[in-house]
Amino acid sequence: MDHFPTNWGRPRNDLHDAYGTYPIHQHPQHAPKDAFADGVKRTQQPIVTGTSVLGVVYKDGVMLAADNLASYGSLARFKDVQRLHPVGNHTVLGVSGDMSDYQYIQKLLEELVIEEFTEQDGSILGPAELHEYLSQVMYARRSKINPLWNSLIVGGVKDGQRFLAYVDLLGTTYKAPTIATGYGAYIAQPLLRKAVEPYTDVLTEEQAQSILEECMRVLYYRDARSLDKFQIATITEEGIRISETRHLASSWSFAEGIRGYGAQTQ
Amino acid sequence: MFRNTYDSDNTVFSPQGRLHQVEYALEAVKQGSAAVGLRSKTHAVLLALKAWFARFIPRSTGELASYQQKMFRIDDHVGIAIAGLTSDARVLSNFMRQQAMGSKMVFNRPVPVNRLVSAIADKAQVKTQEYGRRPYGVGFLVIGTDQSGPRLYEFSPSGNSYEYFAMSIGARSQSAKTYLEKHYESFADCTLEQLITHGLHALRETLQQDKELNVNNTSIGILGPASVHEQSVPKGGAFRILEGDTIEPYLKTMVPKEDGPVTAPAAAAPPTEAPADDVEMSG
Amino acid sequence: MTSIGTGYDLSASTYSPDGRIFQVEYAAKAVENSGTAIGLRVKGGVVLAVEKLVHSKLLVPGANRRIQTIDKHIGMATSGLLADGRHMANRGRDEAASYREVYNSPSPLKIIVDRLGLYAQAYTVYSSVRPFGLSTILGAVDKDGPQLYVIEPSGVFFGYRGAAVGKGRQLAKTELEKLQIGELTMRQAVKEAARIIYLVHEDAKEKEFELEMSWIGDETGGVHLPIPKELQQEAEAAAKASIEVFE
Repeated sequence: MDHFPTNWGRPRNDLHDAYGTYPIHQHPQHAPKDAFADGVKRTQQPIVTGTSVLGVVYKDGVMLAADNLASYGSLARFKDVQRLHPVGNHTVLGVSGDMSDYQYIQKLLEELVIEEFTEQDGSILGPAELHEYLSQVMYARRSKINPLWNSLIVGGVKDGQRFLAYVDLLGTTYKAPTIATGYGAYIAQPLLRKAVEPYTDVLTEEQAQSILEECMRVLYYRDARSLDKFQIATITEEGIRISETRHLASSWSFAEGIRGYGAQTQ
Repeated sequence: MFRNTYDSDNTVFSPQGRLHQVEYALEAVKQGSAAVGLRSKTHAVLLALKAWFARFIPRSTGELASYQQKMFRIDDHVGIAIAGLTSDARVLSNFMRQQAMGSKMVFNRPVPVNRLVSAIADKAQVKTQEYGRRPYGVGFLVIGTDQSGPRLYEFSPSGNSYEYFAMSIGARSQSAKTYLEKHYESFADCTLEQLITHGLHALRETLQQDKELNVNNTSIGILGPASVHEQSVPKGGAFRILEGDTIEPYLKTMVPKEDGPVTAPAAAAPPTEAPADDVEMSG
Repeated sequence: MTSIGTGYDLSASTYSPDGRIFQVEYAAKAVENSGTAIGLRVKGGVVLAVEKLVHSKLLVPGANRRIQTIDKHIGMATSGLLADGRHMANRGRDEAASYREVYNSPSPLKIIVDRLGLYAQAYTVYSSVRPFGLSTILGAVDKDGPQLYVIEPSGVFFGYRGAAVGKGRQLAKTELEKLQIGELTMRQAVKEAARIIYLVHEDAKEKEFELEMSWIGDETGGVHLPIPKELQQEAEAAAKASIEVFE
């Protein structure tokens, strides 16, 4: 029993140390604590997300497309986000998934690019090297059970070689002449396989562009987390071009006739 | 005890702004037997004189004693030749291998040779600035390939590294350097065989009067496509070290020296003289 | 008083009776024996130039650079011990990267110079290390425009419009003072820099040398880059011509 009335109703001294009598590191709040005492909970889901990214190989290089939306759950929160990120003069990264993790990845790459630049020795990181690097980062993070919640497409051209590859939050990687992430993997991937894969050495830039635009349109119709504003990145031997935001024409008059869900009952 | 007031440790500048301990470390490199490096447009080669450990092992046990290792493979595209303290070289070459593996692991690219050399030079610099350490007692010639072809670098204990067309380090390397300076302009267009012949000629200059290059005391390191004398060269002309009988054909290409004693002198060489052994840590 | 033989000059942590730290002065001597480096802060940018002494004809021309890059927008030319120069540059890169990490923007040069000054100073306080045998010229274009600083072995630094360190710094400074530095364009500055290095070298009648130059500013989009080949050749030709006239 504490018989000192001013202490009543206050935290106990050994928890609170009102007079600062403990050395700092012995102070109850500073005492060593088991890092797992409260259990550890790490990223369980993405928060602000970008949806599908598409990538294709065509005659003169590689092309990527992504819309400009960052969703907060089902809310279309940011409608002017660029999800195609140039790295150096040969590579573009297309990102779906968590947008803050994407910004962190941008920062990692910026640091890497500056390190490389300051060497001033003519050795340049191309798409293949950057993809390997990102794979190592993604796999290392997932192995710490603290993944960066993204699916990434790395596309580029260097020394005459076209490069297109994928890596995701699990550290899974693959290369292919067409790649689609997220919802696009279900909706756009089959379309791309059919329209692009047999013709990668003959498709012109215009053709590749119109195929991508068509896929983005289909995605806009079917993916509720997508937007009708998108950009296209074109990487050729000459360098990188990232387009201004383009608008997808779409027609929703057919929606009038749809019955069976939503507000309409008849 | 010391030669002057300012040479007892490496954290002291002399009034002239010199670092005597570092200069002495450069002398340790000159204690080691010589190594020569040169490059053409297609190849880079290293040649080194292997010292016999006669100082420690009586020649009567000859068959059991070994010639010392003068070359190390770092990666497929990098090799080094050393002069000086072999144990220091092993530490540094181990570090270089780690750097090379790191680059392969993270970026899946061969490490740029210049960065590899700079990395060990930076390590060496620290050992010229902090008390309680000594500078490394070994010099390297590093050959490597990058996107613009074969390269040759010299690393030294002072923490400096330079890129050269041709270079030599170690005991009596000045004589080899004189040879290289006379001929380096022709190296660019040499075939591999010609390049090695030049290298052998330069290396020969570092020998003592009565000595000759032979299959036992010479190492050749090659980077680039196979020579006519080579079988089963690793893919892409990766770095390989030739020793023993495999170098016989190259030795045969040497042109006898005009002034030097090509045939052994009649009088037997005095057996007591100490060869240019590389310095051992204990010695 | 003289320094030699007194025992007061053997450690950076020892003062002499009249309050000097000889080890720092000796470090400055290492700089005095080394090739000249200059920097010009002009309209729209900074130009750096170095007199690179060539100690062997076996060296590959153009390789073995003495001007280094610290960040996209920061360049560095050193005079003194080459290996110390690399050490300082690596530290500079770390500082610049750490600034970016925290503030997500390119660092003002003042900040980097300030931190490197502190770093150099730390090597003048302990007997367990020696000072840097190095004078460092740093140039950049940051949010406040072109900047130019010099860090001495003691750790002190000053901002300059024209800076010179190394063997020929006296003559180089005299030449820099004759210029209307603030009025020069970057291209004009490149030619002046080349002329001064050639003049300084001629004066000392040294062995062979190679002129190494870089710039940061409007001409490069704010990025630190070597001078383009044609301009370098043009500047060197003009510099050689001016030396002949001078004679």
